[in-house]
Amino acid sequence: MRARMPRVPPPVVALLLSVLLFFVAGVLQPGFLNVDQAINIVRLAAFLGIIAAGQTLVIISGGEGIDLSVANVVTLGAILTFMVSGGASERLLPAVAVALAVGAVIGLVNGLGIVALSIPPLVMTLGMAGVVKGTILAVTQGDIPGGVPPLLAKLVTGRLLGLPGVLYLWLLLALLMWGLLERTGYGKRLFAVGVNRSTARLSGVNVPLTVVITYTLSGLLAALGGVLLLGFTQRVFLSLGDSYLFPSIAAVVVGGTVLAGGRGSYVGTMAGALVLTMAESLLRAMRIGEAYQMIVFGLILVALLAVYGRQRDSA
Amino acid sequence: MPESAFHQDNRRSTPLKRAPLISARNVAKRYGAVRALVDGNLEIHPGEVVALLGANGSGKSTLGKVITGMTRPDGGQLQFDGTTAPVTSPEHARRLGVSAVYQELSLVPDLTVAENVFLGNEPTRLGGLDRRLMQHRTAELLESFAGVFTVPVTPGTVVGNLPPSERQLVEVVKALSRQPRALILDEATASLDGRQVDRLFELMAGWRDQGLGLVFVSHRMDEIFRVADRAVVLRDGATVGQLQLRGGDDRRTAERKLVELMTGGGEAGALLLDEARPRAAVNRDAREPALRLRGFASGILAPLDLEVGAGELLGLGGLQGQGQSRLLLALFGAAPHRGSVELDGRRVRVASPRQAVRAGIAYVPGDRNRDGLLAVRPILENLQLPNWERYGTPLRVGAARKDAQMVASDLNVRLAGLDANVSTLSGGNAQKIVIGKWLLRRPRLLLLDDPTKGIDVEAKEEFYRLLARLQADGTTVLFTSSDDAELLGLCERVVVLHDGRVTAELTGPTLDKGSLVAASLGAR
Amino acid sequence: MRAAPAGAARFRNLTFLVPLLVLALAVLLNYLLQPNLFQPRVLNGNLRVMLPLMVLTAGQAVVILAGGIDLSVGAVVSLVNVLLVTLVTPDSGPAEVLLGLAVGVAVGALTGAVNGVCVAYLRLQPIVTTYATSFLFSGVALAVLPRPGGALPRGLTTFYRSAPLGVPAAAYGVALLLLVWWLLRRTRFMQHVYAVGGAAAAARASGVSVSWIRFSSYVVMGVFAAFAAAMLTLSTGSGNARLGDAMTLPSIVAVVLGGTRLAGGAGGVTGAVIGVAILTVIRNLITFANVPTWYQTLVDAVIILAALAGPGLVRRLRGSR
Repeated sequence: MRARMPRVPPPVVALLLSVLLFFVAGVLQPGFLNVDQAINIVRLAAFLGIIAAGQTLVIISGGEGIDLSVANVVTLGAILTFMVSGGASERLLPAVAVALAVGAVIGLVNGLGIVALSIPPLVMTLGMAGVVKGTILAVTQGDIPGGVPPLLAKLVTGRLLGLPGVLYLWLLLALLMWGLLERTGYGKRLFAVGVNRSTARLSGVNVPLTVVITYTLSGLLAALGGVLLLGFTQRVFLSLGDSYLFPSIAAVVVGGTVLAGGRGSYVGTMAGALVLTMAESLLRAMRIGEAYQMIVFGLILVALLAVYGRQRDSA
Repeated sequence: MPESAFHQDNRRSTPLKRAPLISARNVAKRYGAVRALVDGNLEIHPGEVVALLGANGSGKSTLGKVITGMTRPDGGQLQFDGTTAPVTSPEHARRLGVSAVYQELSLVPDLTVAENVFLGNEPTRLGGLDRRLMQHRTAELLESFAGVFTVPVTPGTVVGNLPPSERQLVEVVKALSRQPRALILDEATASLDGRQVDRLFELMAGWRDQGLGLVFVSHRMDEIFRVADRAVVLRDGATVGQLQLRGGDDRRTAERKLVELMTGGGEAGALLLDEARPRAAVNRDAREPALRLRGFASGILAPLDLEVGAGELLGLGGLQGQGQSRLLLALFGAAPHRGSVELDGRRVRVASPRQAVRAGIAYVPGDRNRDGLLAVRPILENLQLPNWERYGTPLRVGAARKDAQMVASDLNVRLAGLDANVSTLSGGNAQKIVIGKWLLRRPRLLLLDDPTKGIDVEAKEEFYRLLARLQADGTTVLFTSSDDAELLGLCERVVVLHDGRVTAELTGPTLDKGSLVAASLGAR
Repeated sequence: MRAAPAGAARFRNLTFLVPLLVLALAVLLNYLLQPNLFQPRVLNGNLRVMLPLMVLTAGQAVVILAGGIDLSVGAVVSLVNVLLVTLVTPDSGPAEVLLGLAVGVAVGALTGAVNGVCVAYLRLQPIVTTYATSFLFSGVALAVLPRPGGALPRGLTTFYRSAPLGVPAAAYGVALLLLVWWLLRRTRFMQHVYAVGGAAAAARASGVSVSWIRFSSYVVMGVFAAFAAAMLTLSTGSGNARLGDAMTLPSIVAVVLGGTRLAGGAGGVTGAVIGVAILTVIRNLITFANVPTWYQTLVDAVIILAALAGPGLVRRLRGSR
């Protein structure tokens, strides 16, 4: 086996990098270095991290797994919560239930298309992304009635011990993700399927079922991300989730989850989300203009990929 | 060392005045810990057909690969036309005039016959492919096999639509298109039908007469005697002798000599097994056999009837690729099959590995890295892979670890800890993990595909002891091996397969090396 | 060994036949709903819109045929677009225009080389890598032209809208594209692209340099992207650093719609061109079928998903996998 693992785990590197960037930003922009700013950045990272949770599972499952529909499912989740709750806190629970259920169904369709019809994940989720977007337009018709339940806003933005609620929710999600990946049969089977589908199959694992479950969960988690994002932005608009799509993939990869599958962790994705958000904030703090921000961001990403993203030699 | 055969050959061979086309001397090659070739020697002269013979693991394929540039040797010398030339790649070999015909290695299914034949060597005209020339030349080359194609084969046929036999013929044609001076055919007849083999041999005789040097690597005695002038035998990675076939001894004597060369006559391997001899007495009384197959067929395997008793260790012998692995795979539900399977008298469906596992069947694959292990995952996960559902939700990891530790200790696996990456284990220990993952389930039927390949002696001994214990517990074991001595030493009964059919069932007095090798080659 | 789709024997090179049929059907429906479809003005307009995407999709098809994929194509289009409007002004003479074009093509090739090195030699995963480089290229585009602007010589833009010999200029563009493809298809290079995309191991065993082919496919992509940008610039007459962004995903969808296998090794540019036409016609259909505005995106997406799922469904029903 020639897997050349870097000796320091990627999540740790990402974390250290984030801290480093934070201080660099502080040097470049005096006044940057304060607790509020740090919390702000972590809070922004939280949303990306939550949205990237499903993406993490999908990428771990291997088989060129990827979910390009997350952005639109995020938006849909937010919109459904907005509409079903109508702004009433009492209706928050049913609203969230509806959002999650719809997200799960979308994920299920993705999974079935990939497993039963052998449609490459890239193509299937890309197609579904369009369908979701179209559904949003058709259902809302540009005019989205509803409201943000105060309870939701409080949960997300309200502070406990000085930290915004979403951070606690993120931590809770992290715990659940850890539990899912490390303490359930599904999690163990997921890693197996991602590493070596042949071995998994020859050890009695139901590979297609595992894959379908994974994409279903991805849809559900994306919808959850949308719900929480709603609590933060407190308004809905059609491109709500768009800017989270590719960063969600980048966060997973930077966090050490190999695109080939079979290795990774949600902690890694969290660190990846952190470092990406930090890089973006740093670039903004440097006031170098959007153009140079993008260039540097692209270069950083390529560099990180060159270190962590090497493919196993397929041919 | 049967030197008599060697010297006898020297006296009787026609003196060949021309320099050898290819000369391989003392070639060595190792793959990791496995020494595939230790001292390979081969000379090929223009105008002759040399057969390269050897049992499994003899190194004959490796030698062929070295000569054709598929692998670089670790030692030894290669000469072409008298000049020393280390071959760097298959392309380099082709330029030197050496072409290889392997089993469908170099064909792209989406391309046509003509495109495949000229892949990497396309003629051009005015900057673009000269398709007309390609078609023309390919049609010419295909003419050699006219009349023996089972389906229409034209230069424009898409290769992916052709059956394996025709694809093999395309590989032959492709090698020919380079107008080689030496042609190496490695098991090239494996997928061909009778008439196609006839034609190929006719052509080979023709090529030989035109001055080509041909190497024919095969395990089929019949074919070797039909087409080869001379046979070179490898054993345990070294050339141990050669025999002039044309104009030499009569068939039976020659065959006997070849088998002697191939087996070496020694019983070194069996010494190993004396210690492991505590075999459970096989229970073959009136009760139902533990396993009964009726009309069981899959892929190359022809319909087979088989009965195996509880606690019996049945060996599946024969050279590699004769259907033994396929039988095990199909029995585990991992390959399509027909026919009935009964366990302890009850019919079971094994349409998928999951069903097989539930029925109490376990399988240890031949390629543990590709099919048996999760390379980058910890040992614990490898050991418990089929078993996680027994530990509830949330997983009682403590219990899982305890059980895994128990199995690991039981098997005497030398490991740093359950959380160590499985790729840190040596071959023998890794194989124990592959077997270990099934032990907690106490399977009734254990299917082992060449389980001791690439494993050190100590681990083998431990493995034999494990087998004996499992047998004593009543587990039925089906077992293939590339090590004939092992097969003979462990099993009380060996069923030998050749081209998917059972050629012999060896027990008691017939359970000896000579019979095994003879049956493996389809010899009389 | 993977089998080619059944019945592909004689039609191996004609993977675009089914998409062509689909296109014919769609155009027929379109004509029924929009009788003036074939009037010069309308046809001209449709072709002008389709041409840049067709050229871009052609490049994407080459990359996908070799077994890769490129998500930075839109960014490259933007980049070349802004370079063109920076180098070429309304007063430029022919020499300057040609120089600008040459620079654009060179830059396009360079971006392809960057992608190619990363994917073929560093063996980075294509999807995420080309996504990362898209940021790079977009950023440079933005740096070159922070605000949309610029203009081309009047003569060029009017030419693009004209119809020499009664045929829309854009139609010549499509014809030229198909001609280029016909020439390219006949080269040894393209043959090796198909081999590498179809069975890289077999190609390597036959002496083909797999890394070089993969690298080159990205460079070819870059060149096509540059020309796509040129067409687009002719069409819009100005520059915008975000212009090409929306073209990336449709280029992939069109390639798949046109019958090219996403894993590589089968398909071609003809299909890709048809794929773009299908996308455009579908959009037209939806407009003229009086599908309520708010449902248009959904219907469009469902049709596309069905088309993408098509091959898989057919394979499943046939029983071969």
